[in-house]
Amino acid sequence: MRRLNPGILTMLPVLAFLLAGFVIPILVVALYSLMPPRTFDLVGNPTFTNYATAFAEGYWRPLMWSALGAAATTLICLVLAWPTARVLVHLAGRWATLVTLLIALPIFISESVRLFGLALFMMPGGGILAGSIDALFGVSIGTILYTRLAALLGLVYIHFPFVLFPLLLGVSLVPKDQVAAARDLGASGWQVFREIEAPLAAPGAAVGALLCFVLSLGANAEMNILGGQAVTVITNAIEQRFNYAQDWPLGAALTVLTILLTAAVVFPVLKRIDVDNLAGR
Amino acid sequence: MNGRAKSWFDSLQAAWLLLVLALLYIPMISVALASLSNTRYMLFPHRTWTADAYADALASYTTGTLHLTSFRIAVLVVIVSVVLASFGALAFARFDWRGRRAFQRFLVLPLFFPQPVLGLALLVYFTALGITPSWQTAAFAHLVWIVPVVTLVISIRLYNYDVMQEDAAFDLGATRLQVLREVTLPALAPGIVSGALFAFLLSWSNLPLSVFTSGADTTLPEWLYSRTATNYSPMVPAIAVIATAVSAFVVVAAALGLSLARGRGSAGTNA
Repeated sequence: MRRLNPGILTMLPVLAFLLAGFVIPILVVALYSLMPPRTFDLVGNPTFTNYATAFAEGYWRPLMWSALGAAATTLICLVLAWPTARVLVHLAGRWATLVTLLIALPIFISESVRLFGLALFMMPGGGILAGSIDALFGVSIGTILYTRLAALLGLVYIHFPFVLFPLLLGVSLVPKDQVAAARDLGASGWQVFREIEAPLAAPGAAVGALLCFVLSLGANAEMNILGGQAVTVITNAIEQRFNYAQDWPLGAALTVLTILLTAAVVFPVLKRIDVDNLAGR
Repeated sequence: MNGRAKSWFDSLQAAWLLLVLALLYIPMISVALASLSNTRYMLFPHRTWTADAYADALASYTTGTLHLTSFRIAVLVVIVSVVLASFGALAFARFDWRGRRAFQRFLVLPLFFPQPVLGLALLVYFTALGITPSWQTAAFAHLVWIVPVVTLVISIRLYNYDVMQEDAAFDLGATRLQVLREVTLPALAPGIVSGALFAFLLSWSNLPLSVFTSGADTTLPEWLYSRTATNYSPMVPAIAVIATAVSAFVVVAAALGLSLARGRGSAGTNA
């Protein structure tokens, strides 16, 4: 009897779990999205009505807001993370390790605690910032709390570490002597960035940007706590369809559209990235 | 670059890092400051600074229930994810087999997936199966993205693992089980411990999955989330501080336990 390869044997538990907890749920949602409007079982005749409704009733709008927010968040995070990663790699040593650890720590503190803290900080009148400024200088300031800008700030705040860490891996791969050599040969700062640093750090940056985009695409807590529902994001639209409107098929159709958008961004990038390299082999 | 320009540049770099850290920690500091008041509305700086809210929080029945729910979920997630991920990591990094690349790509997919959307999809799935959402279904939802994380964490350890050790053990007449118990598992152990810590912390702090999948049960992050909008009192930030302190305590305890165990382990080999 041929022995089964231990690799296949050891991957079976995880594979079975992810089929049951990830693949099949997505398929069930996809099936729901094809059911007649406002039904709760999976026996109706398949139809694309819900997708037509989704567009006709303007549900592309929340999806667009979410995608725009995610794109802006990714861009801002990249711009902020790039110098941070470079400084950390440049400093290297005990201080850099400590700072890196301190930046990682908030990932493990609940989003609700951190967003709540941001709201307390920005609150008008008696908020931490406004109250302190009033007490110190006798000046009352306004607030951006409950605007789209505040929600964007929250998105950047929550997702910054997800961009920084993969980028840090990428930047640490840039050989210092190569940069020095280019400088000696008269390359400008911009040329060094474009010709040496950016290409080498690209895989890390791509993973970070991808994580950031996908995670902020579904984000709704930022909008609910800081944005004061200034706009409806896609997750809130889906939740409303499921819970309040009791229209599961339409909610499922919106979910499928979001998943398709995610897949369209994730698959092309992931295909070009070597997971072994990513995990640090 | 001359000396003065260089030192100027270095201070600029240090200032940038300080700014990033300050911005990152402002929210946590704000929560801690807000908890030290006794008024039902925020009016900073507080007229009286007091720790009353902590006394109230500790005396409150809710605090206990919330911690218990979050704790149950986190423990279940740690146990299941460590078992699944240990096997998964062997397939991910230790063995060479056809389809390994495909498996690696498939495994990371749940990480590149918007969590609230996953939570909503799972809610529909549970309901379609006739399962009433509760803390157990929330644990299941957490596992969908924590199992891949823990698998990656353990795999990173395995990349530095020398397969020759196993071959040597086999050559010396060890059985498959002996090799697993005495060579493979000890090498995996540090990865398993960090994986377990990741699992605990990520489950303990998770909001987007719990909010849609925990049904009538409420976790700490969910409760805080619902209280940020309505029913504010200093007890809310106080509970946020307590919950964060509990997770910090778990990390410190685990790190201490690990270094103790390591000390004993090396003492054992010396004897």
